[in-house]
Amino acid sequence: VTGDRDDEFLAVAREAVRAARGDDVLTALGWRDLLDDLHDPETRAATFALFRAQGRELGTSPALGILMAEPYLTATGLTRGSVLAAAARHSRRGGWRALLVGDACCEHVVVDLPEAPALLVETADVELVPIDVPGRVVLHEVVLDGCRSARPIDERAARQARPRSWALGRTACAFEILGAAEGAVALARDHAVARAQFGHPIATFQAVRHLLAWAGTDCAAVQAVAEQAVALDDAAPSRHDEILKALAGRNGRRACERTLQVLGGIGFTAELDHHHLHSRILALDALLGSAASLARDLGTSLRTERRDPRIAETYLGAHR
Amino acid sequence: MLSPSPTAVDPLLDLSAYATAFEAWLATRPPVLRAAATPTPDFAARVDTMAALMSALFDGGWARYGWPTTHGGLGGSIVHRATMWEALARHGVRGMALFEHLEILAPALVALGRPEVVGPLLPRFLAGEQTWAQGFSEPEAGSDLAALRTRATAADGGYVVSGRKIWTSWAAYARWCLVLARTGSTESRHRGLTAFVVDLRDPGVEVRAIEQANGTDELSEVTFDDVFVPQERIVGTVDGGWAVAMHILSHERGTFAWFRHLFLYQHLLEQVGDGDPSGDRDLGEVLLDLAAVSATSVGGLHVHAAGAILGPRAAITKLLLCEAEQRSYDWIHRIDGDLAAGVQHPEVAALRQEYVFSRIVTVYGGSQQMQLETIAKHVVGLP
Repeated sequence: VTGDRDDEFLAVAREAVRAARGDDVLTALGWRDLLDDLHDPETRAATFALFRAQGRELGTSPALGILMAEPYLTATGLTRGSVLAAAARHSRRGGWRALLVGDACCEHVVVDLPEAPALLVETADVELVPIDVPGRVVLHEVVLDGCRSARPIDERAARQARPRSWALGRTACAFEILGAAEGAVALARDHAVARAQFGHPIATFQAVRHLLAWAGTDCAAVQAVAEQAVALDDAAPSRHDEILKALAGRNGRRACERTLQVLGGIGFTAELDHHHLHSRILALDALLGSAASLARDLGTSLRTERRDPRIAETYLGAHR
Repeated sequence: MLSPSPTAVDPLLDLSAYATAFEAWLATRPPVLRAAATPTPDFAARVDTMAALMSALFDGGWARYGWPTTHGGLGGSIVHRATMWEALARHGVRGMALFEHLEILAPALVALGRPEVVGPLLPRFLAGEQTWAQGFSEPEAGSDLAALRTRATAADGGYVVSGRKIWTSWAAYARWCLVLARTGSTESRHRGLTAFVVDLRDPGVEVRAIEQANGTDELSEVTFDDVFVPQERIVGTVDGGWAVAMHILSHERGTFAWFRHLFLYQHLLEQVGDGDPSGDRDLGEVLLDLAAVSATSVGGLHVHAAGAILGPRAAITKLLLCEAEQRSYDWIHRIDGDLAAGVQHPEVAALRQEYVFSRIVTVYGGSQQMQLETIAKHVVGLP
């Protein structure tokens, strides 16, 4: 049972995210150094606590790109701190797109999209188109048109790096979604206690209590699966990162819909941060496979391959 | 398998060694395993095949791991039991049937009952010889359990129990019943309750099976008319029955999800080949629901292995299990219309039973609304 330790990591990370922004948060936490010891479960827990804190506090940093670039360091011959990996997103208006979360603080970007060769590009040589969405998230699309510096990454090396990069990215996104969903529940809970109707705080009304209980359950489910991902790492069942990311996306959105209902009209205004939390979740859900697309793919694979991912057995085995 | 000698350390206390050895036993496909893996809508036959399987698992020693040596077990923790049932489900066993109470009732009996009473009875339960029912709900005490009226009056050497229980699972098949009765005043609510081990064959006990909507008779109504219960058959303390109930509910809502979801998963896996692409997203979402149950309930197992109980967070696991069970059978119903108006086949009839049962899972073990209330108060932190 690791609850206390995780709470501690989260508290430290939240404080750092509140006190600074962007790259300074990572420096304050010594976060980059953690990546040296990702094989250690405690270090992994601390690494991902940053993302949960970013969601909760609506902070933003280049951490996702740095983390996703780790598996490509050998293939690119670059060092940590000089390269980010873009996160893929599928658009109905033109296929796969590459996105960077946080400031583009490094000289190079790995753009490794499905259905295309993996590329290493110079940040100064690509167009970074800002994506203007709420959520206090710094988001850029990497546009390669006219980019002359692009050089392919050896496909064999990329093939090795890709699954690990996506798994790390999906886990990070799931933690950030969890943090944002928890933030939405906290906002709605405070509102339900303070807001009176019919002479009573609305928190005393069963309909409101049940909405918040469901939202809390949505979060608890994501937390439990995310903690398993951290504990198991490479030993996780097949496609576990997809299960985690899909669960986080679905439950995160659902929690926000429930908390929005509790908040009523005030939750639909710029005055409250709820819309930022909600939009942060929508944006993260869109990266590295949305809940809808991942759930469909998981279903297809289970139906056609009838392959048992043995989630329960693996979870239990890890504790033996 | 021989019991370990007192001086040697039993290698199967190591969980990996236990898992490997049990897998090897299952690979021999004993006839009792094959019978328990064959779907049948005949509930009595299902009980018999499960009792036969339990007997073999007891004789082989497998079912004795995870239970203390003072109670006929071979030592180890709940994780041994979790391992055994995970493997049984994976090998096609249809469900635990009345041995669900091994994971709901028995942990509380061991933790809070008198060893001289529970010690000799647990092995009979483990071996499938004598099973147990849980006498909590009453006609006037459902969600409001603390309002129960069955009364236990002090008598020479024990108590005399009178009252009526309803929705008593497996009472028609059971020899023993853990009965929650009022020893204090009506106003004492949950502080005036005591848990008793009642022999359902004693004079004054009447068990009437209830014919259920899914065609089984798992539930019963049980009346107690001046039934004498010796003092030593009290579990916990006099007026301390609420603690026993909370221990049981921590299992029924928390760790039990681990055991039950294994079978849901297996049933789903057996059906998926007949799906079509239009249902893939729903199928994928069921996988998400099941993963949430796996993750929350495996944590609960470790809380119990460490000697603690789950408390209010068990309600979260219970809610997630209900979601997973209903979504699983929603999907199965979607691909198999036969279970609604289907062909006469034991497998279809069994599937229909399971589908109909999945509609009521949000009622037993505390209604969904009660779980939500617990979560609202103790997890979300509402006043």
